[in-house]
Amino acid sequence: MPRKRLFLLALLVLASLAATQKIAQRSLVNGFQQTAIAPVASPAFLHSEFVSHQLNIATHAASLIELNDGKLRAFWFAGSREGAQDVTLRSAIFDGKNWGAEQTIINREQTQQGVWRYVKKLGNPVAARRADGALVLYFVTVSLGGWAGSSISVITSRDEGVSWDTPRRLITSPFINISTLIKGTPFSYADGSFGLPVYHEFLGKFGELLRISQHGTVLDKQRLSSGKLGIQPVLLITDSEHATVLMRHTNAPPKRVIATQTQDGGKTWRAPTKLATANPDAALTGVSLPDGRMLAVLNNVAVGRHALSLMVSSDRGMSWRSVYQFEQESEVAVSAEKFAQRTAQLAMTSDANVTDGAPYAATAQRNKCPALCDFEFSYPYLIQTQRGDFHLVYTWNRGLIKHVQFNAAWLENQVLKAPQKDAP
Amino acid sequence: MMLTDVTGLCGHASALAACVLLVPAVRSFTWQRLSWLMAAVFLLVLLPLNGLPLAGYTRGMVGDLSITTLVLIGLAILRPYGIVATEKSRTQLLIFIAVVALIFYPMTLGISLYDPYRLGYGEAGFFSVVLLIALLAWWRQSNLIVLSIALATLAWSLGVYESNNAWDYFIDPLLASYAAFAVLRKGWQGWRTKALPAAR
Repeated sequence: MPRKRLFLLALLVLASLAATQKIAQRSLVNGFQQTAIAPVASPAFLHSEFVSHQLNIATHAASLIELNDGKLRAFWFAGSREGAQDVTLRSAIFDGKNWGAEQTIINREQTQQGVWRYVKKLGNPVAARRADGALVLYFVTVSLGGWAGSSISVITSRDEGVSWDTPRRLITSPFINISTLIKGTPFSYADGSFGLPVYHEFLGKFGELLRISQHGTVLDKQRLSSGKLGIQPVLLITDSEHATVLMRHTNAPPKRVIATQTQDGGKTWRAPTKLATANPDAALTGVSLPDGRMLAVLNNVAVGRHALSLMVSSDRGMSWRSVYQFEQESEVAVSAEKFAQRTAQLAMTSDANVTDGAPYAATAQRNKCPALCDFEFSYPYLIQTQRGDFHLVYTWNRGLIKHVQFNAAWLENQVLKAPQKDAP
Repeated sequence: MMLTDVTGLCGHASALAACVLLVPAVRSFTWQRLSWLMAAVFLLVLLPLNGLPLAGYTRGMVGDLSITTLVLIGLAILRPYGIVATEKSRTQLLIFIAVVALIFYPMTLGISLYDPYRLGYGEAGFFSVVLLIALLAWWRQSNLIVLSIALATLAWSLGVYESNNAWDYFIDPLLASYAAFAVLRKGWQGWRTKALPAAR
């Protein structure tokens, strides 16, 4: 046998042995880990305020995480416009009463120097906590084209978000590693690995789950839908075996929330179905309650993002009932004058610290009034803290991030007050 | 800088250095001059400009190059030194890549609920099939297919790149496009050779 052929065979045997060893070390999905909630009883309350303070800027895609001392840290992106090269990731801390000063977490140049690749723009940031206590911030980065050309980068903080280490790139797609974006709340599997609800937007539009090891290695990727059905999945865990995923509908009308479920701890997922709940191709969020019910916040309208609803489900997310409107504005676009008037009023009712609504209205106008102006309350992100309170952040007319907090007592009041069935 | 950044950037630097061979004037160079030129380009594209080397820009655009691509680039670089693969072995590899890409990419881009990319994270059945294909290729003396599969599998096992998915070591879209183009061109040339004498 020629020496060259023997060498090739030996190389193949060596590669097979190395691969066998790696495959043997692979951990498989073995159910979900539920977040421990220890509710603290308190009188019913609902408060709101603005998280971001910078005006005359485009601001979007906020997320939240609870810090070890019970405070909250919010993340979002802001710049001259969405997708501009000057967009930075911003953050602020909520001490229970007020939001502190904004800080810049990372910009485009710092990201590209860390990942050793050209980076054109930054997008959605979403935080998770590792088993060793470190905060991990996953965020969208684009090197090529628009948002469909996104990939995910990650930074880690060991001091609750005060400082961050060098960014790393996650490789999640075989097509020049493009088109993986993040929006949904991360969750944990029973073995301590992370689940990241992500989505794909290049040619197809579909939801996916990434499983990431504690060391940051991508262990697995599962598809939740195919074609152009739905994106921005949000996973609501009932117990270690059962979970429901809700997705933003991106296919042809009628626009409805897309859902899929697992009954084996995430090993397999049912074919996605269209629910009766309206969704105008807009992001949604949700949490599971300890009693098995689920909460969701979404634009529960067929068209537009002018209304933001709190919804409850008692059947593991298959049907939803609206219990409160966080926002409810005109569904038709209005004149700049009317818009300015109304947004100035809204700014003052949204945040007791705002005494002059005009600059807030001007910021909203800057982002929402190409000709006529339409209201936008979008990209909600809801968490429940360990003491049982709920915190929601969302984009307010593309100019600011608004925070709404409420507790279980307030929620139960709304559930009792709301009609038992939604109007068709 | 992580080791995976070094390997990723070096892959792109090799590709950019190999581009030198496309310049017609270079073909008359002695192998010593050619070696110096390619080494100079390799190092030049790794030098940071505004904090990022030129290889970082191409890496940002297309991601890390698959090991199979690097095998073909390596062959292109070694050709002036007299190390060549047979045309048959090269064609077999390109046909293999084009066929795999034709099935693989549409499915990964969402045409079906099943995503074959998932197999590359360490699915034992998938790697058994890959090994069988490699053994069959070895039996049929398709040496470049064997070399590419073996080196890609080894590189995946050692974690040479940032990706933990073996597909990223086996194939990339640039390679798939090149393979599809080369196979179509070869098919067209073959058809013309057969058809033209008949036309005369």
